[in-house]
Amino acid sequence: MLKRELKINFKSFIIWISILIGLFLFVYLLYPSIISNGNLGQIDEMMRLFPEEVLKSFNLDIAIMDSAFGWIKSEGWIFVLLLMGVYSSLLGGTILLKEESDKTIEYLGCLPVSRKQIVLSKTLCGYIYIIIMNIIFFIFNLIALKLSGDFDIKVFILLSITPLLSSTVLYSLSLFISTFMRKTKKITAICLGITFASYLLNIFSTISTQVDFLKYLSVFTLCDIRNVILNEKINILMLIITIILNLVFVKLSEYKYQRKEFV
Amino acid sequence: MKLEVKNLTKYYKDTLGIKDVSFGIKNGEVFGFIGPNGAGKSTTIRSIMNLIDKSGVVLIDGKEFKKDDINLMKKISYLPSEINLYDDLTVREMLDYNEEFYPNCHSLRKKLVNRFRLDENKNIEDLSLGNLKKLGIVITFMKDAEIIILDEPTSGLDPIMQDEFYKLILEEKEKGKTILYSSHILSEVSKICDRIGVIKDGSIILIDKISKLSENNLNIISIVSKDKSKIIDKLNAEIIEEKDDYFRFKTKIQSDKLIKELSLFTIDKITIEEATLEDIVMEYYK
Repeated sequence: MLKRELKINFKSFIIWISILIGLFLFVYLLYPSIISNGNLGQIDEMMRLFPEEVLKSFNLDIAIMDSAFGWIKSEGWIFVLLLMGVYSSLLGGTILLKEESDKTIEYLGCLPVSRKQIVLSKTLCGYIYIIIMNIIFFIFNLIALKLSGDFDIKVFILLSITPLLSSTVLYSLSLFISTFMRKTKKITAICLGITFASYLLNIFSTISTQVDFLKYLSVFTLCDIRNVILNEKINILMLIITIILNLVFVKLSEYKYQRKEFV
Repeated sequence: MKLEVKNLTKYYKDTLGIKDVSFGIKNGEVFGFIGPNGAGKSTTIRSIMNLIDKSGVVLIDGKEFKKDDINLMKKISYLPSEINLYDDLTVREMLDYNEEFYPNCHSLRKKLVNRFRLDENKNIEDLSLGNLKKLGIVITFMKDAEIIILDEPTSGLDPIMQDEFYKLILEEKEKGKTILYSSHILSEVSKICDRIGVIKDGSIILIDKISKLSENNLNIISIVSKDKSKIIDKLNAEIIEEKDDYFRFKTKIQSDKLIKELSLFTIDKITIEEATLEDIVMEYYK
């Protein structure tokens, strides 16, 4: 069953990893011309015009876009977190639900496999793809950064781990939500909504201390990129919360799926 | 293996699906499950297969068949009325995938594929309704399960394949398989089933042997007579159709008594037919 799941989700995996690599390849190819034409000073001046809160929300207060790695630490990683988040969320939302939406559940539900086994095989497939996506993207960036100049390898490695935290939680959360639904039509909008709303909450929380609490509602808080860039550390507490959230959502999905009616 | 269904009840929120549905099927028996659309046939079958929650129990050789009982699931095979399989696969890939769950069924699969003339190279998404049904039949029977549940199995099949399918059912019956056969087509039910259960508005209203039902003495009489209204009054006949002097009615009056009664009137033409299963069951549908 796992083999089949890997096979049917392979196409969408290739599309998403191509988008991610394509976007970054474009930037890597473009960046040398941006920084060599003396535009850097102008960009720096332009950045000074923005309020501190805005710069903070894009990590531009702690990273300078003077190199490809500088761009990655600021704007670049936001794209990574968002794109991987959207991919993971959509994968989680549809991986179980597709069987019901396509009405193949009547076949699957009568095979000599337990519902727990169905949930675990499909869930595992999703995690495998999220991890592989991270590994491929890490290798791609490593090669590209090596070619583009100096960069801090430790920060880069730690940074490359962070999408796993937000993506896996978004994946398991969407998986759980999908167990309440019967069709994939609505789940796509819900998954996209959760990912973008979560990201916006994270941005808003940096704007003012009065709305700082919003970060507790955002999955992206788990990544804690600022801590990685400033202290060269992964926040262990966030790592533990990520593991707990994943276990809770998968277990809840399994519980709900056991009781679901396949009509 | 013996399949027993006891007091199955299912409500969809406040709407009744089925109520207190009970019946049993012995091994080597084909049990016809019939009823009009929406009567609860598919709900009963889905309840048996644990696809939906219900109250009541399903027993297989006395053991309760619960959700996720892998050992019992291996012994039951189910052919749904609407076949939905993985569109991204070819017929061969679909059968290979199915084989992963039921080892040692390759030779039976080959025989069935040949018997139902299934092209394994075709993509599932390109299959016609009839070919999709044939694939469903192969998937259902290649497992060599001891209990076979069939929901409208011949819809979409051409007459030659229907005949082949009836032969297959009778062969499986000979092997001692327990078969639940849900169908709208009463002629096929009367041809292959030993007993029937009639479901109406979610409840079983009749369970009997086919042979016994045929003995219930229901006759269909067609008459052309100028004394039409007098005959109808005299026999208190239940009219099926009428036009001018012609009328057709059902009656349970014994033939000799009927002929005596009719001899008092002028009759131009008369036909007496034994009621078919369809006529008998239609009585219960009303």
